[in-house]
Amino acid sequence: MARSLSFFVLLLFVLHVSSESTGEVAEQLEGEEFTEELLLRPLPDRKVLSHFHFESKVPPTNSYGHHHRIFPKAIYQLVHKYRIKEMELSFTQGRWNYDSWGGFDPIASSNAKPPGVELWAVFDVPPDQVDASWKNLTHTLSGLFCASINFLESSTAYCAPDWSFSSRSGNLRYGSLPREAVCTENLTPWLKLLPCRDKAGLSLLMDRPSIYNGFYHSQRLHLTSDEFDPVALHGIVLEQTLTIVLQPDALDTRASFSSSRKLQPSWSMSSLFGKMVDGKCALAKSSNVYVQIEGSLVHNMKDTWNNIEGYDGEIAQEVPYEGFGSNSNFKFSIAPDRVMKETNSFHKDGYSVLYGFAINHYHGSKPFDLGFWWNLPVTWSCVKAPLRVSRFLMGSGNEKGAIALSLQSTEWSQSILKAGKNEEKCNLRVDVFQVVPWYIKVYYHTTKIFVDGMPQALEDIIEKMSVSPSEDKVSPGVMELILRLPCDMKSASLTLEFDKGFLHIDEYPPDANQGFDIPSAIISYPDFQTRLQYKEDNASIQSPMVSKMQERRTVLSYTEVLLVPLTTPDFSMPYNVITITCTVFALYFGSLLNALRRRVNEEERLLKSKDKRTGKLQLLLSKFLSKVRGKPWEPPSSTPPSSSSKFISSKVILKILLVAAIAFGWRYYDG
Amino acid sequence: MEKSTAKKHPWFWFWSSAVASIALRLVLIIYFPNTLNFSSRPEVSTPITSLRRLAEGYWLKRSSMSPYAGSMYHGSPLLLSILGPLTIDRSEGQSHLLCGLAFVIADFITAILIRAIGQRLQVANIQSLKSLGAGRLSKISENFPSGDIASLVYLWNPLTIITCLGYSTSPIENLMIVLSLYGACTRLVPLAAFGWVIASHLSLYPVILVIPLVLLIGSGLDTPPRKLFLQQTHGEDYKKTTNGSLHLINFSWRPVVLFFLWASAWAFYVLVLCAISLKEYSGLGEMFKRTYGFILSVEDLSPNIGVLWYFFAEVFDFFRDFFLIVFHINILFMVLPLAIRLHHRPCFLAFVYIAISSILKSYPSVGDSALYLGLLGLFVNALADMQFSFFLFSGYLGTLLLSPVMHNLWIWRGTGNANFYFATAMAYACFQIILVVESVSSMLNHDRALKQGATAVAKKEEHEKILKNLENPRSGVTWEEYKSMRFTFQVSQMPLLVLTMNDLM
Amino acid sequence: MTNRKIHAFLSRSIITTLVITLSLSCSIIHFSNAAASTSSSAHTNNWAVLVCTSRFWFNYRHMANTLSLYRTVKRLGIPDERIILMLADDMACNARNKYPAQVFNNENHKLNLYGDNVEVDYRGYEVTVENFLRVLTGRHENAVPRSKRLLSDEGSHILLYMTGHGGDEFLKFQDNEELQSHDLADAVKQMKEKRRFKELLIMVDTCQAATLFSQLHSPGVLAIGSSMKGENSYSHHLDSDVGVSVVDRFTFYTLAFFERLNMYDNASLSSLFSSFNPNLLLSTAYYRTDLYQEQVEKVPVTNFFGSVMKTIHTSSAYRAISGKYGSSVKSDDVNAQRITSSDPEKLADNADIKVMKGGGCPHADLWNAIVEKFQGIKNADGIVNYGLVGMLALLAVSTWQSS
Repeated sequence: MARSLSFFVLLLFVLHVSSESTGEVAEQLEGEEFTEELLLRPLPDRKVLSHFHFESKVPPTNSYGHHHRIFPKAIYQLVHKYRIKEMELSFTQGRWNYDSWGGFDPIASSNAKPPGVELWAVFDVPPDQVDASWKNLTHTLSGLFCASINFLESSTAYCAPDWSFSSRSGNLRYGSLPREAVCTENLTPWLKLLPCRDKAGLSLLMDRPSIYNGFYHSQRLHLTSDEFDPVALHGIVLEQTLTIVLQPDALDTRASFSSSRKLQPSWSMSSLFGKMVDGKCALAKSSNVYVQIEGSLVHNMKDTWNNIEGYDGEIAQEVPYEGFGSNSNFKFSIAPDRVMKETNSFHKDGYSVLYGFAINHYHGSKPFDLGFWWNLPVTWSCVKAPLRVSRFLMGSGNEKGAIALSLQSTEWSQSILKAGKNEEKCNLRVDVFQVVPWYIKVYYHTTKIFVDGMPQALEDIIEKMSVSPSEDKVSPGVMELILRLPCDMKSASLTLEFDKGFLHIDEYPPDANQGFDIPSAIISYPDFQTRLQYKEDNASIQSPMVSKMQERRTVLSYTEVLLVPLTTPDFSMPYNVITITCTVFALYFGSLLNALRRRVNEEERLLKSKDKRTGKLQLLLSKFLSKVRGKPWEPPSSTPPSSSSKFISSKVILKILLVAAIAFGWRYYDG
Repeated sequence: MEKSTAKKHPWFWFWSSAVASIALRLVLIIYFPNTLNFSSRPEVSTPITSLRRLAEGYWLKRSSMSPYAGSMYHGSPLLLSILGPLTIDRSEGQSHLLCGLAFVIADFITAILIRAIGQRLQVANIQSLKSLGAGRLSKISENFPSGDIASLVYLWNPLTIITCLGYSTSPIENLMIVLSLYGACTRLVPLAAFGWVIASHLSLYPVILVIPLVLLIGSGLDTPPRKLFLQQTHGEDYKKTTNGSLHLINFSWRPVVLFFLWASAWAFYVLVLCAISLKEYSGLGEMFKRTYGFILSVEDLSPNIGVLWYFFAEVFDFFRDFFLIVFHINILFMVLPLAIRLHHRPCFLAFVYIAISSILKSYPSVGDSALYLGLLGLFVNALADMQFSFFLFSGYLGTLLLSPVMHNLWIWRGTGNANFYFATAMAYACFQIILVVESVSSMLNHDRALKQGATAVAKKEEHEKILKNLENPRSGVTWEEYKSMRFTFQVSQMPLLVLTMNDLM
Repeated sequence: MTNRKIHAFLSRSIITTLVITLSLSCSIIHFSNAAASTSSSAHTNNWAVLVCTSRFWFNYRHMANTLSLYRTVKRLGIPDERIILMLADDMACNARNKYPAQVFNNENHKLNLYGDNVEVDYRGYEVTVENFLRVLTGRHENAVPRSKRLLSDEGSHILLYMTGHGGDEFLKFQDNEELQSHDLADAVKQMKEKRRFKELLIMVDTCQAATLFSQLHSPGVLAIGSSMKGENSYSHHLDSDVGVSVVDRFTFYTLAFFERLNMYDNASLSSLFSSFNPNLLLSTAYYRTDLYQEQVEKVPVTNFFGSVMKTIHTSSAYRAISGKYGSSVKSDDVNAQRITSSDPEKLADNADIKVMKGGGCPHADLWNAIVEKFQGIKNADGIVNYGLVGMLALLAVSTWQSS
């Protein structure tokens, strides 16, 4: 009996365990996943671009439930509380150099961000609640990321783009804080969203001083969710990228034999970050490091290409590293595990190559420290954006000015257009999205467009223009343009005149004399899509970053942030202004009323009452006499008017002198 | 100087100098369209009257947005549809010419109307004096054709010229105000109502002109105080005079009622037009919010020659509403006492109202000052013994020369701060206040002088009676002596004071 | 309408809090000594509010002061979510900083105060007197996240550290506004009456710091100032690499005291007080202990500068904790309420709009017809121009008639 019972219990226990284990397995199969990747790319100007890419997914709640092991709870709650469809938040310090770091590749167009904080979000709520959701979202994010994002709450700071900024309209809100400082306290909470924070995996590389020593760093958080769609497929996808441009200090003098031409600096992970990776993050599905060699660079290294040409996918394992042996321009300290070649290059000269390194089999005793050595000097230039965009201010003084947006064609965009043009009238579409704060009062009717210096009629350049002018202290001014520029133009420029507003004394920041910022405009080229199509050697390893590179997105670039000095009132003496102004009003009121009050014959009465003690009685008496006489009594009316006017005027003069004296004294007392 | 010449051959000199002033304007507009851009001066163009903002509003309207979208345009939609088409294609400078011509024409018409008003005033004045029986009074106060002087003062006033060249819409507002005055003077009730309605539609403040207009229409042009007539006409029985029955007899209600009917008609018409022109957009509600609301709650803190902008830039927010109310009440407080004391001189009352509102309005400009200085010329004879005219003249000159300098120091050079410019604005306000107070008090003195003159005449006859009755002659005689000599003194000093008074212009 | 809702709720809550406050104050006034005894709920948790109030690079040392205190209290066991750190400017990643993302309080750059996980709650333009007082008194708007609130309870010990430029009875914020001693005293009074703290230690490192405490009257408050009235507080030394002086004397010696401690030894407050040497400070530190019940010889510094919890099995701790979470829960469901509650209101509005339309006066439909006509009108501008011309004609005719 007892043993049968115990056996039964045992059976139950086994069943229970097995069921649990199967549950585990199922969760593993279609559970949340986390991948970490790092892309390194040598840049033409002796710098190195390193681009971290962490992606964590959670399946839709209705099929998966509320419990996650990897996905950050804060983000999940954020998405569910404010019903966010899509959101992107970026903290950036420094400005992406579109000329020398590339303006056409996916990283440039998706990870080059304006300085400061940029936030946009799409909500899945009825239109009248979007603003409330936005407000709460900004507060929550400011608490989450230790930044003053809550300044985006006020309606003067954000805007609802009509069509240009993003394809989905209506529920999208966009705001940016150009002057937001970005520092460790922003990076730390961002890292805390990773399953193994900065304790293991690639995020171990993020040594704060070396990161913030870089020329440019942009930390970005992009999340998409279809939680609220009827059929949820992907759930929430959280994509965190950190893009840093670092200057490697020349690693060692292996290139001592190099001739007069300068050798690009060699670098290694430890020299860039001062740290090494010991093993992957245990929770990561895949953790890879890639080194990207740009097409033009490959083109300039033609001599090594004969080795490459023979190469194809099957014999990937041994060829590349030997191929890049002593005779090649550069070599890795570690043999790449796989090599990927760009298949569809829109510029003919070269194919960019991607070398992949898997860091699964590295650990603390054998850390992963990728080195990259140049053997031969080589120079190249990276792919630029179709147009070189710059925005600047015109005019002097603090009363008015003009914003100018200049677009200059880059040489290879010409070639592209020549190549791509099939109809005789070719033109280049440029979308402009610009937000100006309300105290920059733009006169939109003064819009002028010059092509190659010649003023053009607006209607044959501007295809579509939608403006929502700025409302004082309520909303910023938003301008969205579609320009159709002729291909063969060398340069075009667009100017807008504006008046500078005058703010209330409380509306100035503590450092008002530093000036005010106009957030950067977004210039996008819908005709051009960045797409790097890589031919993978084995399809089993697919990486989110590479797939991100492969999806087509429009080329866009951000302009500079403009710094506008506004005139300031005198902050020191509000009381004096108030008192002096009120004195003037009192002067007006009192003296005018005094002039009116003066009766015709009061001086006469005074005069009479002077010689006669009892003026009143005398009046009565005279009345009575006149009655007796039967002739009309008229009041003894006489006045020395000039004297009266003198009386007023002397008083007036005295008051004026008093006011002047007071003002003078105060000026010198305070100044 | 043209005034002294205008005394000799009024017609010829008047027309020649008027045409000369117009020609000057045209030359400046045509040949120096961009070299002197007064349109950007804060003293000339305010947020309400700036033509640039009007162009922006017109652009917004053409691109199918409400002209009031974005707080740029704050004027009337009718002005938009009149002047808007003239402002497009600013690139060729064509618009400058057209708008300039419009404003020159407005100025000219204003001057002509002022002249007409002046002539009627003088005629009325002479008649009333004659009816007072004081012949020499009338003789003396004929000496200046005040209409010509006033209109020439208006035409040649540098403030008017600057305003006309500065492409601000204030010449049109001035034209409407003067039009209403003219209509009231000539008892053309519809005209008066029209001018009043349009003027108060363009800029809120002329609303208070309803009192002088009603007085003009009801009881005719400026006269000496009515008591004198009473003493003249029925000197004998003193009881009739005490009750104001005569006042009621003089005041005719019918045209006043007509005036209000016409005014309501015009107002309805204007509102309908505005509603039609704004119907795709937000309608009349927003129009009132963006025009009158913008005037009453001083939202735009950009500097001007008024005193309110800096005050409201510096005052603490929780006091803002209180001070708004106080400053606007300051205009209304004065309306009633002035009306009581000056009800017998409606034109002068109108002048005082215009001056006060142009001192205390939210966004003042020199255009308003130009108007009341022009109107001041109408009363050269009455205001002969005004004091401080030279002081005021130099004060106006000094502030108007100094304020651009201070503005330049503050805004462009950055070497001075806002207090410099605000100080000039303050001084300007003080001078204007002195001008108003002085003119009012001297007008009252003038009435007293007339009264004494009249009583002098009355007393003479009475004095004969008294002498017949052999009743204590000395006192009466000395009294009357004293009066007459005082009076002659008054009269004799008039002309030279008139001259000093004129160089104020 | 959600906003209206918020305001309604906010006002209601404020009124209720005021009522509670009043009753509390009355009770306190009545049994003042009793109030002191009633506030003897057990010590539940420790909070720290560290404020650096001055902007601009040359005030590097103030941020270094604050960060040193931050590091100390963290080392002594106050967790990050119970520290409200306010930094008025960004020094670590300032362009002038030779050592990016690092802040040093000593010229031997041994210790990077800005470490790897510093959590700044209020920074830059957010550091204003208003926000400071809101943090103390807990009157935030609903959207403010929990990490920016001081969610203390009647059993918590609060350390309030402020540094910046000050003067007689004021402390400058951001170089453009002041915190008066009255404001501080008033905020502390409100906190006491709202039972937001059991014991409060105010530590101020600024010139004439003592004057800032002159208005304090609430029981349970300790105050330490770096200098007496009329004295200045000086910086300790200048770091030639950073280019500015990196720490103030008072804070420097305070840290020197704390560096000797770990969170388990119980040095008393009096030992801290006695560790300040006027000759080294170049100013006389000021202690105000008259509002504090226990004698400072017994009280260990970790009561304020650390978080040493002893487990308590009484109900008071439980009550305290419930009170603590009560507030946060309230703010949360406020959000939820606002998010949800808008729809019924909207429906209601539409309903009464319908009522208006239905129950209009008989002229309403006529008016509507006129409005219809207006809407029907094509090219309004033409009509307006015709109207203006017509107006002139009408004017001419009427004038001619009347003349």
